[in-house]
Amino acid sequence: MTRVIKAELLRLVRRRTMAVMAAACLLFSAVVTLTVFASAQGAGPPSRRGGATLAALAGTGGGTEAFAVGASFVGFLVFVTFIALMAGEFSGGTFRGLLLRDPHRLRVIVGKLAGILLVAAGAVALTEVLTFVLSLIVAPTRDIATSDWFSMGSAGAAVRDYASVLGGVAGWAVFGTTLAVIFRSTPLALGVGFAWAGPFENITVDSWEAGYRLFPGQVLASLIRGGTAELGIGRAVATAVLYTAVAGAVTLVLVSRRDVTA
Amino acid sequence: MSGMTANALSVTGLTKRYGARTVVNDLDLELPAGVVAGFVGPNGAGKTTTMAMLLGLVRPSAGTGTVLGRPIHSPGAYLPRVGALIESPAFYPSLSGAENLRVFATVGGHDTAGIPVLLESVGLGERGNDRYRSYSLGMKQRLGIAAALLGDPALLILDEPANGLDPQGVREMRSLIGGLAGSGRTVLVSSHDLSELEQVCDWLILIDTGRSLYQGPTRDLLDGVVGGLTVVPQRRDDLPALCELLVACEHHVEWRDERLVVSSNGTAAGDLAASVNRAAFDAGMVLVELSPLRTTLEDRYLSMLQGGAR
Repeated sequence: MTRVIKAELLRLVRRRTMAVMAAACLLFSAVVTLTVFASAQGAGPPSRRGGATLAALAGTGGGTEAFAVGASFVGFLVFVTFIALMAGEFSGGTFRGLLLRDPHRLRVIVGKLAGILLVAAGAVALTEVLTFVLSLIVAPTRDIATSDWFSMGSAGAAVRDYASVLGGVAGWAVFGTTLAVIFRSTPLALGVGFAWAGPFENITVDSWEAGYRLFPGQVLASLIRGGTAELGIGRAVATAVLYTAVAGAVTLVLVSRRDVTA
Repeated sequence: MSGMTANALSVTGLTKRYGARTVVNDLDLELPAGVVAGFVGPNGAGKTTTMAMLLGLVRPSAGTGTVLGRPIHSPGAYLPRVGALIESPAFYPSLSGAENLRVFATVGGHDTAGIPVLLESVGLGERGNDRYRSYSLGMKQRLGIAAALLGDPALLILDEPANGLDPQGVREMRSLIGGLAGSGRTVLVSSHDLSELEQVCDWLILIDTGRSLYQGPTRDLLDGVVGGLTVVPQRRDDLPALCELLVACEHHVEWRDERLVVSSNGTAAGDLAASVNRAAFDAGMVLVELSPLRTTLEDRYLSMLQGGAR
């Protein structure tokens, strides 16, 4: 599998791709940091659902608070990106080409996913670092003390935030890959994924609160947020692992059993 | 066929069914090592499906056999020694030709150091660093051949490599495949262009509706069959008289430009030539041409399709 991962990194880690990715991370970090700091109000308990409070920003983990809040909005983007990347492999015929070089299908699909996730892990880490640096720059404009940001507790919070976001990204990646494998067509997989994770889930949860605990997209959103009022982090992790395992199993069965005709 | 001691490919009863539809039906294939084999059949005959089964992309519904001595049901055991271009070439558009080859070579565990030489060998040495999306169709096909050659495979399976190419591109592809033939590897190439196959292939596999019509050396298919004789007298003025004479001898004769074509109608080529020559000689005519009218692969193929020959 290392060969497939290496090939995927060879494909993705190129100067232009990295420059675009770094620019996107910087832009995202800037927008998120400015928005979170500008909208932070009052004291009160920290809330990642509705943004950050000044108290949360000044406290332990405040340096990565903007990252944690902002990351809750990237799940859908990750989902769509993985659908496009993976479905493109099927509709474009490159998956077939890869199987001609390595006929172990599961190794190829898992290796590709792992390769892309490695790049995504780098992007998440870069975004967290950029957000922290930008937060340091922006904090004085709101008279927010940053002394607690350099404590061990803040380091732990940063690691937890990173793990939550990466876990959510991995979940979205598996779901995106599953849709791509099922439909093997970029427009079709994107259409279904967009309709489900966009309008369907978000409209339904307005009238059916259990959707926050049951819908895959909502579960992953809770995971990325480090838990929400509707779904704590523990149950979010458990449900996400269950859903991801089911999606992963469906993907592996389809990839291993279906004829590759495109 | 000297030097052919083993089969690169040997399968029996290869079958692929999609529901009630049988795409490949109980197909037996034997391909001696070292030949350049043409795989011929009309659209929907099952060529691509057969190749896809040999490459492990499509699972056979039935059939057994070996590819390069390994069981067909374990493609992982033989695919490292097989190179293939199946359907259309598929690469990452945003990568260059060389980068694409590097990606595929890495997945296959092949050495990437030889990629520049490989690109040179398919005529892409100058364009190897250009993005794939900027390539013409011919260049894409050539990159597909280069990818198939990664790892110096013992068996090459090429599905319509000249598909969509202009005449110049077809000629280049023929030359490329001809070059591969000289390297000692076995090549299985499908094409609709029978004249191209006739020039390049020393072995032919003809199939129709998933069944084999013919398998064997190209020359065995074509050399044994002479459609007739082309006859040209020394004096053009003798043409009408010669025609009447041959008709009188109960030959079927056609005028074609400045020559007569005498159909063999099952008569052996040598006997027919002797009969025509004797008749002309007895009438005091001198022939400057008396040559067999060879059947083309296309003629043979079409007659076999119409006759449903086995």
